[in-house]
Amino acid sequence: VSSAVFFYVTTLLVYFGIDSLAVWGLNLQYGVAGVANLAFILFQAAGAYTAAILTLGPSTGNGGFQEYVGGATLPFPIPIIAGGVVAGVLSLVVGFLGLRRLRADYLAMVMLVVAVIGNELAQSDTGLVNGPAGLALIPQPLQDVLNLSPSAYQWFYVGLVAVICVVVYFVVRRITESPFGRSLRAVRENEHAAAAVGKNVASLRLIVFVVGGVIAGISGALFVQFIGAWSPGGWSYVETLVLLTAIIVGGQGNNVGVMVGALFVGVVFQEGARLLPTTWAPAGLIAALQWIVIGLCALLFLWFWPQGLIPERRRVFPLVPRKHTVDGRETSSVAGAP
Amino acid sequence: LLVRRTVARPGIEFCISGRIKVLRDDEPTQGAEVNLFILSLGFGIVTASILALGAVGFTLQFSVTNVLNLAYGDVMIASAFVAYALNSRGVNIWIALLVGGAFGAVASWFLNRAVFSPFIRRGTRLFGMVVVTLSTGLIIENALLALVGPNYFSYSFNAGSEVHVAGFALTVAQLAVVGLSVVVMLVVHILLKSTQLGKAMRATAADAALARACGINTARVIDAAWLLSGALCGIAGVVLVINTASFQAATGDGFLIVIIASAILGGIGQPYGAMLGGVVIGLATELSALVIDPAYKDLVAFVVLVFVLLLRPVGIMADVSARREVAG
Repeated sequence: VSSAVFFYVTTLLVYFGIDSLAVWGLNLQYGVAGVANLAFILFQAAGAYTAAILTLGPSTGNGGFQEYVGGATLPFPIPIIAGGVVAGVLSLVVGFLGLRRLRADYLAMVMLVVAVIGNELAQSDTGLVNGPAGLALIPQPLQDVLNLSPSAYQWFYVGLVAVICVVVYFVVRRITESPFGRSLRAVRENEHAAAAVGKNVASLRLIVFVVGGVIAGISGALFVQFIGAWSPGGWSYVETLVLLTAIIVGGQGNNVGVMVGALFVGVVFQEGARLLPTTWAPAGLIAALQWIVIGLCALLFLWFWPQGLIPERRRVFPLVPRKHTVDGRETSSVAGAP
Repeated sequence: LLVRRTVARPGIEFCISGRIKVLRDDEPTQGAEVNLFILSLGFGIVTASILALGAVGFTLQFSVTNVLNLAYGDVMIASAFVAYALNSRGVNIWIALLVGGAFGAVASWFLNRAVFSPFIRRGTRLFGMVVVTLSTGLIIENALLALVGPNYFSYSFNAGSEVHVAGFALTVAQLAVVGLSVVVMLVVHILLKSTQLGKAMRATAADAALARACGINTARVIDAAWLLSGALCGIAGVVLVINTASFQAATGDGFLIVIIASAILGGIGQPYGAMLGGVVIGLATELSALVIDPAYKDLVAFVVLVFVLLLRPVGIMADVSARREVAG
């Protein structure tokens, strides 16, 4: 195996792990609790910027060519944890403002606007996180301590991401399989019914919003520490649609399903396009085609397999007569559909 | 994650560039300050006119058809490209504008018939429809990108001499845009309030099932609503480019966000609220450039929106939208 292929494969493994973390976070919000968070990428970006700034050191470093607020050189796990914490706090603020009794589609719009505000702010204010150019030369964790060869370091990072994936998977699973997860699904299926049996819908939504935000922050931090650079062009709001497509393809509400979706959409589609010959196409055409494929993928799955490749397990209690069980995703009354 | 385009600026960037800066540098007297305010007010009115056109179309689409169409900005830009195709072949810009509006109407109607309405019939609801319209918009935008490339385009037309009235300094074309917007708003007002079709639309928006029971052919009303809102969408796209001078396939994204902000500000689903929201956001963004760095002026729109969400989460003029439980 040539070293180029080796680097490619290990990089893909890291991307897959990071995408899996992200879709677990978003699935918890959208797939399980029905919170339409179109600003998900903003929280990933917040975690990434935090981790970047906490490893870059003061902005006078590297000849002072990039401007940013703060700056520190903290040892390995702290920047990643801080990324999760900052994204969580941001989620708390945004969730508190945005989750106030808004209907799913209305909330989606507000979140879309929030995602664009965040991106605009990062671009307009060059002193905050270096504006449109973004941050670069971000050191990789433990690189100087371990003193590994580049290929050994690739494997080290794959292992690191894998360990974090396993931990987060168990946390997410613990949430979705618990009575708390059942409450979240109740909120998704029918918030009025959930409120009627005594569930605090607003606080359930806010909690899941923050937990998803923390996971987003961790995934962003891991991503930026791996690739070493981060700029607003890489996290426009449509990136959230890629993660949503992964969830729709894999099976919303199913943790294993969405991971398969991340593999399918993130790795097979996006990376598959790289294997196409680039000589016949003008620059940018393949990127445009990739986006078209992502959009078509979301539409086709919503049409033909709305439950996804691996549907969410139907939770039916055998002791209850069939006619009382709630099946299907949407149970709210429908008035006025054309 | 894909590293996407680096130019993702919202569409309303114009006017503010050279002229104001020059005034600021050359005439730092008290008189110039007043002048500057009125100048910005003039640009604010132009922005507000364009925003009102777009926001009314967007909100009308939602209230009558129950679809939050996030492909709206991309249909706008597709219409602008249709007008460009004509204009670059020598057709007068104002005729191209009409054709652009007609294209917007037909394209929106077609999107509903071919994509949105089948999904709703199949049972896709609320956020599912948001994903459907967002994906459709993504496909349109990137199809345009694949067709025309990432270049910037501009119309060739005579913007007319600069007219100075009461301290305003606007080109004839900008005045025409404001006039057009006022006329279109009046037409929408008369249509909604005084015609059979308008009444049927309002009845369908308020309660489609009841409207059907009263003998209103809601399917036809919804078709008409898509054509009307699509025409507004197309016209807004072309006048946006007449004003901004240059555009590319991704311009629609950013402008849609400002339109959404206006529509939410006015209470989503409220045509008059959307007019008001468009005016507030248009004026706020342009006037803010007087006191803060113009780079932040689009952020002002969002700050206004955040305050509204905090104080009145359903918008300035909302009453129906808060109570309604609808599909799509």
